Amino acid sequence: MSEHSLRYIDNDSFFTRIDALSKLIWVILVILTTFQLTSNLSRVVMLAVVVFVMIILARVPLKTIWQAMPIILIMGTLLFFVHLFTAPSTQIINVLGFSVGKEGFDKGLQYFLRITIMVLASFILIWTTDIRDLMVGLVSIGMPYRYAFTVFMALRFLPVVQQEVDAVKAAHAIRGRASSSPIRHRIRLWQRYMFTVIVNGLRKAENTALAIESRGFGAFPDRTFVKEFHWTKTGIILLILFIVFAIWLIFWEKNLPIL
Amino acid sequence: MNQPKQEPLVRFEQVTYKHYGKTAPALMDMNLTIQRGSFTLLVGPSGSGKSTLCMLLNGIIPQILGGKLTGTITVDGHDIAKTPVQELAQSAGMLFQDPEWMFATLKVEDEIAFGPENLRRDPKQIIESVEKTLDFVGLQRLRKNLVWALSGGQTQKLGLASVVAMEPPLIILDEPTANLDPATTHSVHQLILKLRDEGKAVLLVTKDLDEFMAEADDMILLAEGRVVAQGAPRDVVAQHGDKMLELGVWLPEPTEIGLRLKADGKFNKPVPITVEEAVDVFADVKFNESKPDEKLVADPEILIHAENVEFTYSNNFKALRGVSFDIKQGEIVAIVGQNGAGKSTLSKLLVGLLKPTAGEMTMFGRSAKRWKVQDLANQIALVFQNPEHQFLCDTVREELAYSLLAQGIDDADVVNKRVEEMLARLDITDTADSHPFSLSAGAKRRLGVATMLIGGSAKLLIVDEPTYGQDRRLTERLIQLINNLRSEGITVLMITHDMRLVDAHIDRAIVMANGEKIFDGSPNMLFQSPELVERASLRTTSLRRLVDGLRARGVSVPEGLNTVDDFIGAMQ
Repeated sequence: MSEHSLRYIDNDSFFTRIDALSKLIWVILVILTTFQLTSNLSRVVMLAVVVFVMIILARVPLKTIWQAMPIILIMGTLLFFVHLFTAPSTQIINVLGFSVGKEGFDKGLQYFLRITIMVLASFILIWTTDIRDLMVGLVSIGMPYRYAFTVFMALRFLPVVQQEVDAVKAAHAIRGRASSSPIRHRIRLWQRYMFTVIVNGLRKAENTALAIESRGFGAFPDRTFVKEFHWTKTGIILLILFIVFAIWLIFWEKNLPIL
Repeated sequence: MNQPKQEPLVRFEQVTYKHYGKTAPALMDMNLTIQRGSFTLLVGPSGSGKSTLCMLLNGIIPQILGGKLTGTITVDGHDIAKTPVQELAQSAGMLFQDPEWMFATLKVEDEIAFGPENLRRDPKQIIESVEKTLDFVGLQRLRKNLVWALSGGQTQKLGLASVVAMEPPLIILDEPTANLDPATTHSVHQLILKLRDEGKAVLLVTKDLDEFMAEADDMILLAEGRVVAQGAPRDVVAQHGDKMLELGVWLPEPTEIGLRLKADGKFNKPVPITVEEAVDVFADVKFNESKPDEKLVADPEILIHAENVEFTYSNNFKALRGVSFDIKQGEIVAIVGQNGAGKSTLSKLLVGLLKPTAGEMTMFGRSAKRWKVQDLANQIALVFQNPEHQFLCDTVREELAYSLLAQGIDDADVVNKRVEEMLARLDITDTADSHPFSLSAGAKRRLGVATMLIGGSAKLLIVDEPTYGQDRRLTERLIQLINNLRSEGITVLMITHDMRLVDAHIDRAIVMANGEKIFDGSPNMLFQSPELVERASLRTTSLRRLVDGLRARGVSVPEGLNTVDDFIGAMQ
């Protein structure tokens, strides 16, 4: 009974019931708006909206969010520290007892927030969308089904990689440590994780590709769909509300005093 | 079957095939035919070309995997080298060993519709065929379920359903039950027979032949890429039985007994292919009185003591509910039970990867909570079902040396000497400089065991599914290794669905069902209780059914005949 944090949650929430394309457009809008924003305060507001969608509208269980936390935070945190230490700073400020450069801190925070908003929004899409519906939606607006399907395959392999990493990690732990230097040992383990995960991951990917081709995938330029795509009213309303909010946010932050 | 003569569904003419980048052909000078609506068993030892043959039938080989094919193969009138794989899908459907990887959608009903949709069938017609197929495999109730929330058996049935829905005249099944518990295996077997009854041609690769020997129309025996024999299973066994024994092909136990007696010149009746036939054939055999009981080690040391152990995963799934047991020194113990009964969780607790969420577990006199995985690894060795996960180095030799280094043994001479010894002992010396990933399945398994034991301090070896994907000969070698270890005082614990293995080679079985231990005792006691066997989704071996059948006929058969050897040995 393994648990994987990056899969569709079949909980019939308000957000789950919205059609897949509206959700995809919502994610794209979140990302585009976030790149328009110029202050960290408005980015925090955007993050709050995304978190609201995640917890209230999509009812993603806190446990799932908690489990996905490392993946959500890793990029943002890395970028935060990179900018914290590399951005030229003229002013020193005190953050939680540490002296850091103000510009570096602001820049780091900016990247952290941007990445985290983007990752969270994408995860909400994964958690609330049967990727098949997304595929049907994309095909209905004219995308060839082979391309639409690659989106699905990419998402499908996230949990596979996660599962594989877990298994390899457990297997390695019981092999013990063969080097007196913990750092060398760590490096070696990492090399091996990567190798084993990639080899087994590719093998599984190949098996999936074989299986799908041998079920007639790609036999014809088009295919039939049992389920048709329908735009949902709630999806359209949500998009309109979000666009209004995004425009408001962009104008609102223009009038903010410079922090 | 008196069908009018017609063009066979499958025809191989002078087929030779080399895998991409290999010099030796995987299949050689192969000629064979499969008739429409016939049920064919494909047998042969590990590495004899069974899977290659299957993949040729739907064109994956050579179209996607490359390699060099000479000769012609036609399936349903199509040349497999020239017809695109996607089109061949309408002629030959294949169920893979691990169907989880063949799923293309998230929900059961969508998955069944996926294939027909690709073939541009009319949506109305697809909906009908989805309904029919759901009924056929018995998944109607689970139609809205997510595919990854299915059990092993349901996954396999869905895999079968998604092939059946495309309505190909030929269905290829490559070891469809290798990962399933015995009762689920039986239910999948029933489905396979039902397919045959509906007029599909079925080509099946499996080691569980018991239920099929009398049902199949045809048996193809492969060895080293060549067709050794093709014909009715009864004829193939009668004419090539010796060869099958020699090759290490799995055969039902009654058949094996007949063949071995015949080879020794003690038997001149037709070799039985079912339990019922064997009961008839052996009904007049006299058996010696019961054999002496095996001696038990006096008061062995208790290595592991578990009391009311519980384990709950973070998603609130309670995998173990108050399990208590002891593991004593020098035993061979098996943990058995249906898929999802808590067996893997238990093994993870034993090696310290998980800690009990309630109850007490003591390993080597110290509480489980106080053991670190790395330290416990010196005492308890676990060989994963996929040994590749455990490999860390670029050659077999380095892999073994790593285990010694992990225990602080770094004197180069000592390391070399012990590595050489271990290589020789497991018969993998000639692959010492190969990459561990490049070994054959059997050798990988042995290397997995070797890396765990070379340190010399392990007192308990846990092996997950020791017979998975191995032919009879490879299995026998592994069993021999396990017995040698036991004679050195090492305790062996196996997690397995293989009832023959359980019945023949273990001292004690711990039976799990829904996270609880429902039995703990000798295999003889276990298999004598039909209720228990059913509750734990197990099945008795065909040898036991033979013995029961003989007893019902009034033949006096002594207790404790757990292997083919025991049975033959007890005959007068």
